[in-house]
Amino acid sequence: MKKCHFSFSESNRRDLLRLGMYGIGVSAAAVPMPLFAQAAAALTDQTKPGGKILVVLELSGGNDGLNTLVPYGDDAYYRLRPSIGIPRKEVRPIDDHFGFSRGMAGFERLYKSGKLAIVHGCGYENPSFSHFTSMAYWHTAAPNSGEQYGWVGRLADEMAPEAPPNFIVNIDTRQSLAVRSRRHVPVVFDDPNKFSQEVFFDEREALKPSTNQQPLANPSRRFLLETAQSARQASALVREAWRKYHSPVDYGIAGLDLPKVAALIEAGMPTRLYYTAYRNNAFDTHVFQNDTHKRLLTYASDAVAAFLRDLERIGRADDVVVMVFSEFGRRVPENVNLGTDHGAANLMFVAGKNVKGGQYGTIPSLTKLDAGDNLVYTTDFRRVYATMIAGWLGLKDTRELLNGEFEPFDLFQRA
Amino acid sequence: MLRPFEAVFIAAAMAAAIHSPVAFAQTAGPAAWQNDLKPIAPADWNYDFAAHLLERAGFGGSPDEIQALARLTPAQAVAHLVRFEGTDASQLAPFDHSGIRDPGLEPFPPSRPAVTDQAKKTGGALGIQVKPEGSRRLQPVVNEFFYWLRASALETNRVAYWWANRMLTSPQPLREKMALFWHGHFAVNEAKVRDYRKLLDQLELFETQGTGNFRDLTVAVAQDPAMLTFLDAGVNVKGAANENFAREIMEMFTMGVGHYTETDIREAARAFTGWNYVDLKFVVNKDQHDDGEKTFLGRTGRFDGVNVIDIIMQQPATADYIAGKIYRFFAREDLSPELQKQLGAVLRQHDYQIAPLLETIFLSRDFYSPASVGTQIKGPVELAVSTYRKLGLASVPGVPDFNVATGALGQRLFGPPTVAGWAGGTSWITPGLLLERANFGRDVLFPDINFLPPDRYTADPEVRRVAERIRQGMDISAATKPDGKSGDLAESNMAADRDEDFNTRYGSFRGWQMAMERVKPIPRDTAQINLSRMVLDQHPTNTTQVVDYMIHRFMRVPPGAEAREKMIAFLNKELGTTDISVAQTYLEDPLRLVLHLIMSQPEYQLG
Repeated sequence: MKKCHFSFSESNRRDLLRLGMYGIGVSAAAVPMPLFAQAAAALTDQTKPGGKILVVLELSGGNDGLNTLVPYGDDAYYRLRPSIGIPRKEVRPIDDHFGFSRGMAGFERLYKSGKLAIVHGCGYENPSFSHFTSMAYWHTAAPNSGEQYGWVGRLADEMAPEAPPNFIVNIDTRQSLAVRSRRHVPVVFDDPNKFSQEVFFDEREALKPSTNQQPLANPSRRFLLETAQSARQASALVREAWRKYHSPVDYGIAGLDLPKVAALIEAGMPTRLYYTAYRNNAFDTHVFQNDTHKRLLTYASDAVAAFLRDLERIGRADDVVVMVFSEFGRRVPENVNLGTDHGAANLMFVAGKNVKGGQYGTIPSLTKLDAGDNLVYTTDFRRVYATMIAGWLGLKDTRELLNGEFEPFDLFQRA
Repeated sequence: MLRPFEAVFIAAAMAAAIHSPVAFAQTAGPAAWQNDLKPIAPADWNYDFAAHLLERAGFGGSPDEIQALARLTPAQAVAHLVRFEGTDASQLAPFDHSGIRDPGLEPFPPSRPAVTDQAKKTGGALGIQVKPEGSRRLQPVVNEFFYWLRASALETNRVAYWWANRMLTSPQPLREKMALFWHGHFAVNEAKVRDYRKLLDQLELFETQGTGNFRDLTVAVAQDPAMLTFLDAGVNVKGAANENFAREIMEMFTMGVGHYTETDIREAARAFTGWNYVDLKFVVNKDQHDDGEKTFLGRTGRFDGVNVIDIIMQQPATADYIAGKIYRFFAREDLSPELQKQLGAVLRQHDYQIAPLLETIFLSRDFYSPASVGTQIKGPVELAVSTYRKLGLASVPGVPDFNVATGALGQRLFGPPTVAGWAGGTSWITPGLLLERANFGRDVLFPDINFLPPDRYTADPEVRRVAERIRQGMDISAATKPDGKSGDLAESNMAADRDEDFNTRYGSFRGWQMAMERVKPIPRDTAQINLSRMVLDQHPTNTTQVVDYMIHRFMRVPPGAEAREKMIAFLNKELGTTDISVAQTYLEDPLRLVLHLIMSQPEYQLG
């Protein structure tokens, strides 16, 4: 995984080399700030609710929720996990039943300061144990349906049917199904330093986009031309935002992509929906999981906690929430390889200054498991999505968007 | 007979007349050919069809190579590619090992904490003893751990270079293309396997058996140490089956989801118990194998892993799934269920032999229909190799670094992100990656003179910082302190230095240094390009002819008319004339800029 601002010396070198080069469609080496203002102004006319921002963080691979928020007060936990169960004395207790994994000092602090909501038992009917299938269900919010568009993409279509540029940002090497939209072309990039075409001065005129776009029969070609347009609209903004971003906040060893999100928010990017992931099935801990898993959680917890601190620094903490999920939890009994296999129901987290911290939903039983020894879900995960859509972003009706009635939790402070 | 340039021009004039304003509209067959698996007739065969075939069954080629294929009949051309008829690959050099392996590295523990735990308990690990006393007693063990991580990763980059050179220069490009397909299908990555030798062995399997029998290949992969490591099969034992391996074999490798139950997975996992490896050899640990009766996909018996694979091969879903995936890789993304069934039937008729299926696809009318021609978005490795082939290069340039360049575009050899491999198609392209593709073109045509070889110079700023401070004479604790951050220090940064028996950051630095000493460097030659000669050999008289020749040589789908006009105007301005005879002596730089413009077109991504 690429590190973010930890590679600053490298990027500085590249920046120096790039002096005298120009991004396409940008008339000077430095982007004038009004560019952001223009982009933002263009957007406010076209979007319905206020300036709230949703950041989704995916923990890919199936995070073991039971070793994330450890039910240390439940003997069944230690019976089912005699070897990999995290001892009472090692957890960071948040009440007399649960405690966070050792490295999650960040989450512990967020919880104790009332900025972290934990939603128990999230899942869906007839769970899939395949990473790819279950992740697709979470991405589309439509289990067992074959829905083509992602829930974040559909949400963008609903919030901004005119599809203004830069409404969705997805930081990754590949576009997530979650942001796939009928109308919007999401801005997808990985390394902001490289999100530019490096163009020689003489070439600028020849590389300006063509004016008349005739309808094209070749669907791949059409897709490429649309993507090229999105790239032009976003790249200068993103690059400039990253160049100006110098945060003193310590995001920890991994940082994930949250510093990049902070940079864009700080720069006033008109994006309302951000999608990022702890990538590459990292949480798929089948063997010898405890050291690895603790490390992953530490990084994730560090990054989320730092992101909220950074938002305070930026002055946008009131406008942003982070929703954290994984495609499934893991099997309750440990396997013989000191790991866990694919499971079902799991925790979700929502963090932010305006979150009403605490625990939501019903805690699934560790003694009444399903036939495959998995937690039985108590909360349809789409209720949490509905909470983000209605409770946070202020859309009235989530039924059509989520293909069903899902009651939001009362999870946010009244503004 | 017409010279190539004249032939191109006549075709261009005709195309322009018919399809104006598009220059060089590529000829595909009639739309009615879509979904028709009947073979094309020799009379249908032409230069454009041959170019399309070489693009897909290989990595494209120069006009001469395409012309050579076009002179054959379609059946001969396909046999030449699929059956390797009339080709000789014996000139390709074997991989040159650096010699980085130390005794004691096998079995390699799963993590750094596992290594240090083992060293604390047993007095040593990885063949290195713990110091009897003094500070940081485990440091040499930790150094060795990081040494192998880095050395294996660097050597894997050399294997990737070796493979890329085969893709570029082999007279049997389909062998390499098929290996690339299987690498994405039976996906494993170096980050988890952590042993370049296992990856090299697996590649050899794909090279030798890639167009052979799918059943045999699946058995070989299921018994391949790289795969056994990657899917944790080595820890799948009697009484406590690990499902990961069995699940992925069914879901990703053979049938796809929806054709088996969770019970089938658990039963299959039992059949694979005891499968393991010792170093580079497959072994079955008999006492760990569950020899009991299993019920799998409706059949009952005392199955082992091979039986399970054979039962999987009897499922119609398996042939459909694999034939469909091969078709998507070589022909096009959208595939109707009916056509998929037909392709599956072809595979079953031939008892899972891959070569006859490939011949059917490459000879079919469907393959040459407008739905298939020029609609494929090239993967990063294909993009780079086909660019190099069209440039006529004799070896893969060391600048830009092949692995860094393709990795930045989303496809690093031996680095598929997950067991699902690469999704391909439109997933290759994001706004960020589209711009990055144009930058790749620039890095080839105008190499960065500040280039630093990634196998000699680590991009990790932390390692560089530690190295610098150690050289300045700082002690290990001071040298490895993270750079100052204000406010709360993140938990991970506080934790990194807590163990006094060793220092992880120092180990990471020292491991890198040891690896650099022993892994052979990758040659860092830049691309040897002579566009002036390439163009002047065609005897063009004006800039329009030059631009059209370059578009035709380098693009399978031409750009829009406006983009083409801009390129011509650009070349006129750069040369100060439209007359090539005047500009002969200073053509090179302007031509490279034109090629960069070509490589910056969205259409350049299509093959």
